[in-house]
Amino acid sequence: MKDNKLINQILRGLLIYGSAVVLALGVTSIFVACLGYDVSDALSTLLTTSFKSSFGFSETIKKTIPLLFATYAFTIPFMIKFFNIGGWGQMLMGGCVTAAVGLSLASLGLPPVVMVPLLLVVGMLAGGCFALLAGFAKAKYDVNPIISTIMLNFVAYQFVNFIATSSLYKDPLEGHPITRYLPSSATLGFMGGVPVSIFLSLIVIVLVYLMMKKTKLGFEITAVGYNLKASKTYGIDFSKTIMLAFFIGGALAGLGGCLEVLNIHGRLIEGFAKTSGAQYGIFGILTSLVVAGNPLAAPIAAFFMSVLLVGADSLQRTMQIPVEVVFLSQAIIVMFVVIIRKRFGKGGI
Amino acid sequence: MEFITTFLHTVIVYTTVYTLASVGILISGRAGIFNVAGEGIMLAAASAGFLVSFFSGNALLGFLAGALMGGIFGLILAFIHEKFKVNQFILGICLVIFGSGLSDLLYKLIIGVRLSAPMAPDTPAICIPFLSKIPIISGILNQDVIVYFMYAVTALSWWFFYKTKMGLETRAIGENPKAADVVGINVSRRRYLATIIGSALIGVSGAYLTIAITKTYSPDIAAGRGFMAVGIAIFASWKPHRAILGGFIFALIELIAFQLQMISYSIPYQFFLMLPFLSVIILMIIYKKNIEFPASVGNPYSRE
Repeated sequence: MKDNKLINQILRGLLIYGSAVVLALGVTSIFVACLGYDVSDALSTLLTTSFKSSFGFSETIKKTIPLLFATYAFTIPFMIKFFNIGGWGQMLMGGCVTAAVGLSLASLGLPPVVMVPLLLVVGMLAGGCFALLAGFAKAKYDVNPIISTIMLNFVAYQFVNFIATSSLYKDPLEGHPITRYLPSSATLGFMGGVPVSIFLSLIVIVLVYLMMKKTKLGFEITAVGYNLKASKTYGIDFSKTIMLAFFIGGALAGLGGCLEVLNIHGRLIEGFAKTSGAQYGIFGILTSLVVAGNPLAAPIAAFFMSVLLVGADSLQRTMQIPVEVVFLSQAIIVMFVVIIRKRFGKGGI
Repeated sequence: MEFITTFLHTVIVYTTVYTLASVGILISGRAGIFNVAGEGIMLAAASAGFLVSFFSGNALLGFLAGALMGGIFGLILAFIHEKFKVNQFILGICLVIFGSGLSDLLYKLIIGVRLSAPMAPDTPAICIPFLSKIPIISGILNQDVIVYFMYAVTALSWWFFYKTKMGLETRAIGENPKAADVVGINVSRRRYLATIIGSALIGVSGAYLTIAITKTYSPDIAAGRGFMAVGIAIFASWKPHRAILGGFIFALIELIAFQLQMISYSIPYQFFLMLPFLSVIILMIIYKKNIEFPASVGNPYSRE
């Protein structure tokens, strides 16, 4: 009996993810063919750019990390059936507060052992508290989190602009809103082209898994998401759980933004946390929907998604195919996956 | 006096954008479909409407194209929801991403990069002979056809929902689809209709942005107004007459914030630009007591 269940689960997974991959390639091919480009060339560019050169691979990892954190930002509140569309805004807050604090502390000359962990915590707190605003508005005033988190995205965007143009932090030599470089004691380096933050991300993957599966909080989040009424009877504080879920999601997004500043740019650039002009937050939502908010599958999906994003960049460079073609196909694929899961999966959304 | 009239004129223009979009959202909401895809629909319609008006030289054809684009989005939303009972919010978010990708793609493919940005033709205006000479009132009445269209749509939808049998039935679907089904109303067909008509209105609002207000297309032209329209629909308790009031308030906030950020030196201008977005959340908290929802908005309905 138990074996049957497992086999069923594996088959269902194969059906859903297998059809997702086939659809991904199919939809993109149709778009590419309709626009009059060579389909096989485009597909091989899309899929192999990440693996053909060490540059391609390093770019893929660089995109996977923020994408993974954006995915978690959506996934964790989604486990209690709430939509955090504000992952991008929380990333921006994490990044810009990190930059501001890092630059303000530069003159103290703290060693990296103190500086880096301090800034990581600052980034997480900034993102978490920003998301908590939406969680609080939902818990206390029943404000729809979709609306509040989107509105907060625009607020965060203006706040980044404020930090990056303020006379305290702005790099006077740059025309664009960009701050000065953070002190070298605050920034992280690269190892063989791969950002060091990959190790931190691996730790976070394990911690998120442990939190969801082994702690009381993880149990409460799952319980509220599974059956709100039953969880209330059981004595779970709904307001507390929703606020915590938003805080954790936001803190992870904030960490993602913080790592963008510390590891990728070394300073705050207006328009960071984007890939070819589109926000990481959006791709995080798509990635999370593909895996139906399963925190275990999120890293794999995030990696696959960034393979497509790096491929999309390369398509635009080498074949002049607009990146929007890939974005459009991704949105269509996610819709198909959601439909397939609803039809054939158990407990579809 | 002159300044107030001009300012009011601009406020009414932006009120049109917000009101058309939020009336579009509340029409489908009354039938139980929570359409959060407003931003994506506006963007796609802004691009399609602009392109059609530019190539045909006729602004009205552009608005028609915008409405058509919106209607197609509405059809997709209603079809996937009614057929597969997929969560409306997930669909809406996918459609936002789809719409924003589509808008840029259409413009890139058809126009590409040009030295001077192509301009949309003028939108025909209606001058009411006597009233448009009076200051202040002329700010409200001396406007283009889409503004009058917005007045008409708001009045008509209010009349439809509160004075006709069909409107009452549609509201019943949003409150209790099962009861509506029992008395013989075709729930699914009404939901299709409401979503398509509502989304077409959102499309007109998107096309209005490019054709009448900026006259050119630029990426991300809706700048969050599609999402704010959802906020206005909620804030208005899904009532058309309150939606026009909400549209006016948010247009006023947006324009005042824009004026203030240009003249203020002590407060950084970014904080004024945050104001419209923050006020959505703040107003929803303040008016929490007055906000009502159609009881079953956002929920799928199937007979078994």
